[in-house]
Amino acid sequence: MSSGGRGGKRRGAPPPGPSGAAAKRAHPGGTPQPPPPAATAAAPVVEEEDMMDEDVFLDETILAEDEEALLLLDRDEALASRLSRWKRPALPADLASGCSRNVAFQQLEIDYVIGESHKVLLPNSSGPAAILRIFGVTREGHSVCCQVHGFEPYFYISCPMGMGPDDISRFHQTLEGRMKDSNRNSNVPRFVKRIELVQKQTIMHYQPQQSQPFLKIVVALPTMVASCRGILERGITIEGLGSKSFLTYESNILFALRFMIDCNIVGGNWIEVPAGKYSDLVSHAAEGEHSKMAPFRILSFDIECAGRKGHFPEPTHDPVIQIANLVTLQGEGQPFVRNVMTLKSCSPIVGVDVMSFDTERDVLLAWRDFIREVDPDIIIGYNICKFDLPYLIERAEVLKIVEFPILGRIRNSRVRVRDTTFSSRQYGMRESKDVAVEGRVQFDLLQAMQRDYKLSSYSLNSVSAHFLGEQKEDVHHSIISDLQNGNSETRRRLAVYCLKDAYLPQRLLDKLMYIYNYVEMARVTGVPISFLLSRGQSIKVLSQLLRKAKQKNLVIPNIKGQASGQDTFEGATVLEARAGFYEKPIATLDFASLYPSIMMAYNLCYCTLVPPEDARKLNLPPESVNKTPSGETFVKPDVQKGILPEILEELLAARKRAKADLKEAKDPFERAVLDGRQLALKISANSVYGFTGATVGQLPCLEISSSVTSYGRQMIEHTKKLVEDKFTTLGGYEHNAEVIYGDTDSVMVQFGVSTVEDAMKLGREAADYISGTFIKPIKLEFEKIYFPYLLISKKRYAGLYWTNPEKFDKMDTKGIETVRRDNCLLVKNLVTECLHKILVDRDVPGAVQYVKNTISDLLMNRVDLSLLVITKGLTKTGEDYAVKAAHVELAERMRKRDAATAPTVGDRVPYVIIKAAKGAKAYERSEDPIYVLDNNIPIDPQYYLENQISKPLLRIFEPILKNASRELLHGSHTRAVSISTPSNSGIMKFAKKQLTCLGCKAVISGSNQTLCSHCKGREAELYCKTVGNVSELEMLFGRLWTQCQECQGSLHQDVLCTSRDCPIFYRRRKAQKDMAEARVQLQRWDF
Amino acid sequence: MERKQAEYSNLDERYAIQGEKYQGQQYSHIYFTRLHHMRNLLHALVPSWKPHLPVTTVLGLEEGKDCIIVGTLYKHMKLKPSILDEYSKERSAIPLVKPHNFMHPDDHLILEDESGRVTLAGAIPPAAYVTGVVIALHGKETSAGNFLVEDILEAGIPPQITLPSINEDKYVVFVSGLSIGSEKFNPLQFQLLIDHITGHLGDENEQSIASNIVRVVVAGNSVHISPRFFNGQAVASKDQSRIAEPIKELDIMLTQLVASLPVDMMPGSNDPANFSLPQQPLHRCLFAGAATYNTFSSCSNPHQFELDSVRFIGTSGQNIDDLYKYSDAKDKLEFVERTLRWRHLAPTAPNSLGCYPYTDKDPFLVESCPHVYFVGNQDKYETQLLQGPEKQKVRLICIPRFCDSGVAVMLNLRNLECSTLSFSTSFDA
Repeated sequence: MSSGGRGGKRRGAPPPGPSGAAAKRAHPGGTPQPPPPAATAAAPVVEEEDMMDEDVFLDETILAEDEEALLLLDRDEALASRLSRWKRPALPADLASGCSRNVAFQQLEIDYVIGESHKVLLPNSSGPAAILRIFGVTREGHSVCCQVHGFEPYFYISCPMGMGPDDISRFHQTLEGRMKDSNRNSNVPRFVKRIELVQKQTIMHYQPQQSQPFLKIVVALPTMVASCRGILERGITIEGLGSKSFLTYESNILFALRFMIDCNIVGGNWIEVPAGKYSDLVSHAAEGEHSKMAPFRILSFDIECAGRKGHFPEPTHDPVIQIANLVTLQGEGQPFVRNVMTLKSCSPIVGVDVMSFDTERDVLLAWRDFIREVDPDIIIGYNICKFDLPYLIERAEVLKIVEFPILGRIRNSRVRVRDTTFSSRQYGMRESKDVAVEGRVQFDLLQAMQRDYKLSSYSLNSVSAHFLGEQKEDVHHSIISDLQNGNSETRRRLAVYCLKDAYLPQRLLDKLMYIYNYVEMARVTGVPISFLLSRGQSIKVLSQLLRKAKQKNLVIPNIKGQASGQDTFEGATVLEARAGFYEKPIATLDFASLYPSIMMAYNLCYCTLVPPEDARKLNLPPESVNKTPSGETFVKPDVQKGILPEILEELLAARKRAKADLKEAKDPFERAVLDGRQLALKISANSVYGFTGATVGQLPCLEISSSVTSYGRQMIEHTKKLVEDKFTTLGGYEHNAEVIYGDTDSVMVQFGVSTVEDAMKLGREAADYISGTFIKPIKLEFEKIYFPYLLISKKRYAGLYWTNPEKFDKMDTKGIETVRRDNCLLVKNLVTECLHKILVDRDVPGAVQYVKNTISDLLMNRVDLSLLVITKGLTKTGEDYAVKAAHVELAERMRKRDAATAPTVGDRVPYVIIKAAKGAKAYERSEDPIYVLDNNIPIDPQYYLENQISKPLLRIFEPILKNASRELLHGSHTRAVSISTPSNSGIMKFAKKQLTCLGCKAVISGSNQTLCSHCKGREAELYCKTVGNVSELEMLFGRLWTQCQECQGSLHQDVLCTSRDCPIFYRRRKAQKDMAEARVQLQRWDF
Repeated sequence: MERKQAEYSNLDERYAIQGEKYQGQQYSHIYFTRLHHMRNLLHALVPSWKPHLPVTTVLGLEEGKDCIIVGTLYKHMKLKPSILDEYSKERSAIPLVKPHNFMHPDDHLILEDESGRVTLAGAIPPAAYVTGVVIALHGKETSAGNFLVEDILEAGIPPQITLPSINEDKYVVFVSGLSIGSEKFNPLQFQLLIDHITGHLGDENEQSIASNIVRVVVAGNSVHISPRFFNGQAVASKDQSRIAEPIKELDIMLTQLVASLPVDMMPGSNDPANFSLPQQPLHRCLFAGAATYNTFSSCSNPHQFELDSVRFIGTSGQNIDDLYKYSDAKDKLEFVERTLRWRHLAPTAPNSLGCYPYTDKDPFLVESCPHVYFVGNQDKYETQLLQGPEKQKVRLICIPRFCDSGVAVMLNLRNLECSTLSFSTSFDA
């Protein structure tokens, strides 16, 4: 039956509940029950915004329980036998019977539901109230849901001058009345619970006085904060004071976050509930034992749908045919559950539990049961949030399986589905559902990838090729239906594929340390883990700001950012780049965390800013303020210490600590945690500056951000000046130093010395010397040498990177197209190889020769087609595109040829540019690479030369070569051109094929001959050439196809993969064709 | 003196791909055929090996239950070069792999049949096996889903036809790796060999031995053609004729040989033949002179023939060289012996050794045990008379590269004894 999951429940007499913001923990239901505690679910299964259902709370719980019993009734035995493997560990007896020990758990998710306020814990209130739920896992792997009663939503307004206690109660009544008016169909007894007079200070601008009166308005339900705020912002008439509109403070904070801030809970930390008490929730800082990770259950899954030919699967038509699942305990290398649920029979798979069902309904229900029993804390997958999960829910709706979407951690709760439309560059505009599964964190690797990495493609295949170094087999969706309609063997084939797709997200998660990094980020910034994926950067800074402000008794105004383009400010400075190829070592001096350092050094903050009008009024002495280069005034720390500098100091100090601990740490898990933490701290420190500059953000303050950049500019200039003044022959140095380039936070110096070692010495000297002239903690560091260094223009350079004088570390490039998505592979290869030859081999003539050879190969039609393929995502259909684009036109044309295999919206369309009639537009010349291969269609080398490779090449070579363009792109190597004859063009139908001599192309009259009489003597030589050609093709064929066997992981089955993202896909296809041709060629010699 | 004769029959038919038509097939068929064939053999052997154990498929494994499974090995190798490496994001400055051997301590074996795969652990050393070998294993599935091997059954040396009794000395000479056209080739050395074989050298005693030579087998890599002619770039017209120069030279020397005795010409990896195994006979148009003699036969690689009913099988060495790259043994002969025990000449084909994608057969299966098994183009001369459990007797020969060693191998048909013919043109030797 139900799992022993929700273990942390305990019972006991409620202690007197403290009021206010103190968290109280409670447990609904009174009488002790045997485990598992099935009836402990608290809230009704409702959408939390919908307050209509509250009355039927009790009834519905009971109903749900009956339903639950029914759900379990018709499970067959096979399924039942699996439960023991799926279940969480059983609760120890003392906990199960409801008792007496501290329960510590790591929380992952905090949300709230609306429920009747707790009669025992909160005897003085009634009506609906928000109940917070903290979901987590204990060290032993037991699931915990901790419910917090009595935490009330609130916000602040500044108290109008002269408002006394009587005025407040009158104000309360007015507000209550206005609230009632705007929430007519709500049956809450009191909207505004109370209004308190508190002493606070606003964070905005420096204020000499410590505090001033504020009103804290406490409302009944979290959703009322917004409506109450609206009323106050629009203006309200208060007796005796007239009509007044208010600026509200801290009124836009999500309720769960408010709770976390007030109770000092950060995302992913450990919470301990002491035995027998309800009042004291202990929130542990992530130190020592409490920095560890609980054994979360991580479910990775993938579904397959049988799409119709030529359509992207739609839940209204296309059945779900397979669902593959892997469940892994956090910290363990191997999943402990691997299974796949299939529609119709499927042959067994080693090490995998294959469950086959006759109807789709059974598949879906089996999955639901599986989720409920295995009870995952985190659900991961690739594109699950936008595809797999909504698809399952919608499909169940279409099939009218009402009992399907009960997947949440609350046993009888239905998942909430919200309609959203989403648009993304990869997947286009699509109607979708946002599925909220209570208590389970959804971690979509696709979203994480898109957020954290800049890649040329985000298909699972190319992502895993990038991070795991493996190609993924890709089965085209038109084949999926065929496999499904085959026999149990073909379905097994599909299942293996499906399992692999479920396994890869888990491997990516492990490889990229996502759990560690995200939990640490949540801990550092204090937001729940789910915010990290679903919300922007600013919430992280806001959370820290709120926490700090609370300590300082400051409140944060709710200022809507104006999305105007006017308030822009001058950005970072970039020193003029002196382009060139430097063959002497270039030292790089970097400012360590420049922007955070500036904010700390000059005490830049909301609460230290003195606006011009205040400056006059306050008349601050000049020695206690800093005037920034951009003209703003900030008070110095001895007058008032800024909050932002303090946050930054803490973050950087914590990072230093984490790094020091990392050095000490031996345990790999501990190291992972610490490394994730220092990374999170670094990112957080750097995002503070962005927060102040985001004009549409939560609390923009351009005075701060423009001051920061202006200081930055000043420092770069200052550094340049100092270096060029000090390191001169006059100053006793061998050469005059020269600053050749500088951007945001680094300066490149050519000291003129010729060895890396000397340059390092001077670099260190310069860094120390210049650091001494700055206010702490601004520090210039010497980090690396570039030698040689190819500086192309600002933000574009390449060089060998040295940190020790013996050996270079790597080749470092910036801003040079090697991975641009709309470049073909040829460009990438060419650029990489050239840079390698120039920088590592120091062989410029070699690089030039290489370019010439490649261009000659291109013109002579000797370049592998896969290197010429350009890929673009099809995001909408042809009509929706305003301008004609090559890939869209091609998709249209392909649809006319064969609708079944043509790319549909969301697919990536690969194409090559072919030769066509003069004047044809580029978009008309796009063609499917496979079609090109099959029909020998000539590609257009000029297009590739001019539109693809010339620009990046010239960029590299211009600083090195004179007349680079003439030399590289118009030399004698561009004279010889070869174009293949298409085999499908109209004219070929009328052409008569005649054999030509293989030696001299003369037409031979005799039918079975190879050579003309003149070439007869060259037989041996010509044969050698032919056979040499053939043997090369054979070698390629073997290497390519065995590689594909390797990827697919089977020797005895044909390769099905059609992954066009795979670099060898076209070569493989071509090899197949060449193989057949080679045989024909050789056969001509059999006379 | 009259040269002795031996009755010759060429058995290369199975290696011909003339009849095959390529229709886009992949490599799965060849593995399938191999597994099918070998499984029948192994199943027949199981009752005498471990009669009490059930034979099952990879899918039918039950945890903890002793059983026998038969399947194709797949060796997962970390260092195995992959064509995808060409596309890797960053080229590494230092090559990671030593080029001659791709073994790594993390390598592990996987057994595969049509139903699935299982990782192997236990008493099976990954170093001794390669991808493509079909074997039977006794063991049981562990809780981790691996198969813990306790014992291994290989198909073993195949049955042999009786060795005919020949009561006079008849010799076959093997030579390989002439590399005409390379810097290492010494024309005088080869001329000495020819003169010796044709009886133009030495005293009467030596001539009488020479007259007992009934056949010469040239086991691959006879010429060396500079690879620069085949890299796709256009060849300057003055170079064109140079391509065929080494072949012409070979033809001239061969012509001397075929004028006096039969010669079998096998292609090797450097010869102007196709790349993948089985390599088809070198085209007769390459041998304008020698091809006019009926004593010249251009053969395939592998090459199989009978001389006076003594069964020969041999390759130009690619199969053994590939085993050397992907597995480990005390010497080359051990690799040769293994291929016999596995009953497969080239188990690594097609995985790491180029191979034609057959659909319905695997020509490299060794169905009957040869009497002589030779491998060309090896570093040094090695030989051994292998005794099989059923009284099979096989002469294994590693033929050294002639251009390096100046050594040819002479085998006596009467007793399968082997000796070397060593030629040196330097004075201090």
